[in-house]
Amino acid sequence: MAYEPRIVAFLCNWCSYMGANLAGTSRISYPPNIRIIRVMCSGRVDPIFVISAFEAGADGVLVCGCHPGDCHYVSGNLKAEKRIETTRKLVKLLGLGPERLRLEWISTSEGGKFAEVVTDFTQKLRKIGPSPLKSEANPKAKASLNVQEVIKKAIAETNVRYCLECGKCSGSCPISRLNEAYSPRRTVEKFLIGLENKVLPTADLWTCLTCFTCTERCPSDVKYPYFIRACRRVAPVDVKEELCAHRGIPMALSRIMTNPKIKQERMDWLPDGAEISEKGDLLYFVGCAPYLDVYFEDFNLGLIKIPQSVVKILDKVGIKPVILRNEKCCGHDLLWTGDFENFEKLAKVNAADFKETGAKKIVTACPEGYRTFKEDYPKFLENFDFEVLHISELLSELIDKGELKFDTKIARKVVYHDPCRLGRHMGVYEPPRKVLASLPGTELVEMERNRQNALCCGVSSWLSCNRYSKGVQIDRLREAKATGADLLVTACHKCQIHWKCVTSEKLPVDPGEVTMEMRDLSVLVAEALKLA
Amino acid sequence: MEAKQSVLIIGGGIAGIQASLDLASRGMKVYLVEKTPSIGGRMSQLDKTFPTMDCSMCILAPKMIECFRHPNITLLTYAEVQEVKGSAGNFRVKILKKPRFVDLEKCTGCGECAQHCPVEVPNEFDMGLGVRKAIYVPFPQAVPLKYTIDDENCVKCRLCQRMCKAGAINYDQPPETIDLNVGAIIVATGFELFDAQTRSEYGYGKYQNVLTSLEFERLLSASGPTGGHLLRLSDGRIPRRIAFIQCVGSRSLKGGVSYCSSACCVYATKEGVLIREHNPECEVYVFYNDLKVFGKGFQEFVNRAKNEWGVKYVRALPGEVVEDPKTGDLTIWYEDTTENVTKSMKADIVVLCPALVPRVTSKELAGILGLELDEFGFMKSRDPLFAPVDTNLPGIYICGYCQGPKDIPESVAQASGAAARAAEAIVAAGKEAH
Repeated sequence: MAYEPRIVAFLCNWCSYMGANLAGTSRISYPPNIRIIRVMCSGRVDPIFVISAFEAGADGVLVCGCHPGDCHYVSGNLKAEKRIETTRKLVKLLGLGPERLRLEWISTSEGGKFAEVVTDFTQKLRKIGPSPLKSEANPKAKASLNVQEVIKKAIAETNVRYCLECGKCSGSCPISRLNEAYSPRRTVEKFLIGLENKVLPTADLWTCLTCFTCTERCPSDVKYPYFIRACRRVAPVDVKEELCAHRGIPMALSRIMTNPKIKQERMDWLPDGAEISEKGDLLYFVGCAPYLDVYFEDFNLGLIKIPQSVVKILDKVGIKPVILRNEKCCGHDLLWTGDFENFEKLAKVNAADFKETGAKKIVTACPEGYRTFKEDYPKFLENFDFEVLHISELLSELIDKGELKFDTKIARKVVYHDPCRLGRHMGVYEPPRKVLASLPGTELVEMERNRQNALCCGVSSWLSCNRYSKGVQIDRLREAKATGADLLVTACHKCQIHWKCVTSEKLPVDPGEVTMEMRDLSVLVAEALKLA
Repeated sequence: MEAKQSVLIIGGGIAGIQASLDLASRGMKVYLVEKTPSIGGRMSQLDKTFPTMDCSMCILAPKMIECFRHPNITLLTYAEVQEVKGSAGNFRVKILKKPRFVDLEKCTGCGECAQHCPVEVPNEFDMGLGVRKAIYVPFPQAVPLKYTIDDENCVKCRLCQRMCKAGAINYDQPPETIDLNVGAIIVATGFELFDAQTRSEYGYGKYQNVLTSLEFERLLSASGPTGGHLLRLSDGRIPRRIAFIQCVGSRSLKGGVSYCSSACCVYATKEGVLIREHNPECEVYVFYNDLKVFGKGFQEFVNRAKNEWGVKYVRALPGEVVEDPKTGDLTIWYEDTTENVTKSMKADIVVLCPALVPRVTSKELAGILGLELDEFGFMKSRDPLFAPVDTNLPGIYICGYCQGPKDIPESVAQASGAAARAAEAIVAAGKEAH
């Protein structure tokens, strides 16, 4: 059978849907390839609508709204224009081809234009060919698991039975302090007495930041975040989706990347003249920076400078890193939100891709990737035996060898925030500090709570972004500000996103108490090397 | 005296003292070796003892003096066991007497030297809260009451030598090796505190008002750094609320020891009562996980602390202690597990009750003696049920905290037990010889 494109169309209630209606009542014929979804305003079309349509196998997505100036909500269509622009960039990164996403202004009287647009779009999609994501399998399908058995296994593997019920976890938990209804101790207790149904379908299961503060302090070595992670695997998906920030876009993107046919176009960020290789000893895993840079472009964080800096630094010391042109997501967020199936798929694809390059070492500038490759991949895969380094470890090695010479003075008072995944998860506390201390002119100060006791940035795996996480974020920023430092350095791009997010909103405190210039460790190092 | 009739006792704390007195009073010769310049051990550092609230020094000092005066006891203070050879009935022991640089025969303990010594160093007896001089007695009731020059800190100004009317100072005193021949050995080396800095969430070592229980005991004591006035060290303010945190390192499968240190719940109660005695307006909170008060009269003691003295108990192990850098006040974060609510509490002083662990040096000593240690470094009993004071080697016995967690009454009882077993061994060896 010849390929026939399937188009999902989001039409605004007031203009475009009426336009489509007019086309119908006027008996204008157009190809039957379109499935129309009526929305109140084109501004309602969230990027996740588009991404989900593609994930489900759509060959094209059409978004139609009122002509500029005609919006029944004044400016919804202008917002739509901006959103679709961002979404188009994501679609391009995924390698689906930006032309598969189309935005048109169609008024009530433009029945003919509607038919023309559909006809034209269908013809173009016929030419482009089917979406690589077209498949019969549902990417969200989960393995059917015996809930009781999964819980039993999780209890046994994470020392939950040793819980003394002392409450040290809740006394340590940044969320419990703000949300007194939440307590790791009581959550564990419920599972132990067979009341798992009081937790599994509730927000409690998705509240844990998995920041490891409780685990660090628990006298009984109960590995609460691992326990929660295992239980998330068997929890109802709808609760999770409701609690995912950004409507679960990061997870949708990750799931899409499990598709072997996907060919991303994600290398546009590579700085001019940067030298990378196809095969070699050291592989630099870029991670989600290109996607996050697009999705959070409004924050102007310049997240893409992170991989750019890393590559420039590596080039400077004569390392031409291997970078995968079609690099997949590491799967961190999927794993911690309980989607083990898709995580494993990504892990397998990544491991095979890594092996092919002949690399021995994997370097990341992201604590999540670092943790996932160093800690999780070896547990999920056989023979995953790469040496995994965080950029701070590599930089500190290079400084030791005298290979990095800083010629620019960074005359700043710098405070370093320990990302949970780098610090408590992996115990990397000193290398980033060593790097910062060796930058000329830098004065490194510490927050009240640092290293093992560092406060989380407030959100992990895009889960449960709510007033409690905002509270944690404000708390952390205040602590950073109170040090008197003028630059907050972290080694995780997500920390920066979360803090920028909270400070862009209306704040319950004086903005002066929490607003701080932020910088990623690698970017600051590049600045000190005059590479920025 | 015949070698077979003598016993070496290592450690001059309450257990070592009790064993020495028991053996000496049945006519045996005792060599009591103590590492520090004075016998007395941990008990001498305590203000009061539970559950009777006796003044600790008042009941200990007579025993210390008795040891000193007993014709059958030779005190070898500031001395360490270097080598042990032989077997039950005939141990050949080498003891290193570290130089005190003070002639024990001549020193009258008048203290003129210390008054003029210009060097001040943290006082070990006060857990570093107070200061002592480079020439010092550890505490006023020290036995023997003889001064010692701390070679590490002495600046050799010779002021003490000039001031000493007895001419007791001798900078050239060499270390002395003593060879002994004994029939049996008793080890009573006691405990030290688990390093509370390991649990960094409580801020010990970082915040001035977070203390260990032994430091706090010194703060309460009339012979302590504040002369018994209950003050906050950071600003000299009278504390209005003091919180105790139990199980800092005890009962921990990770980052500590898995056993219960056995004395903490009761001594915290005791210290709580003492606070209320000192200042009835000061509130006392004890954060605990399980109140393990199993000794005779202990539960009644806790009940009285609650009902008569108003010591408050909260069933929770706090997660974190945070200091307000401006005031030095501390905020304790915990989940009240009886109310199921995560809360915070402000306190002026936080007292940590760290795990009690065997002496670091007990490993070395065990090597010298050939004794087996358990996983925590406690001396291993031959049989935990029927031979608790016996070791893997005949003729060597153990008592007190070095054998396992216990309190003072148990240490004393065990010391008498070890003394009896040592005497038994000596009698048996004597019979064999005939």
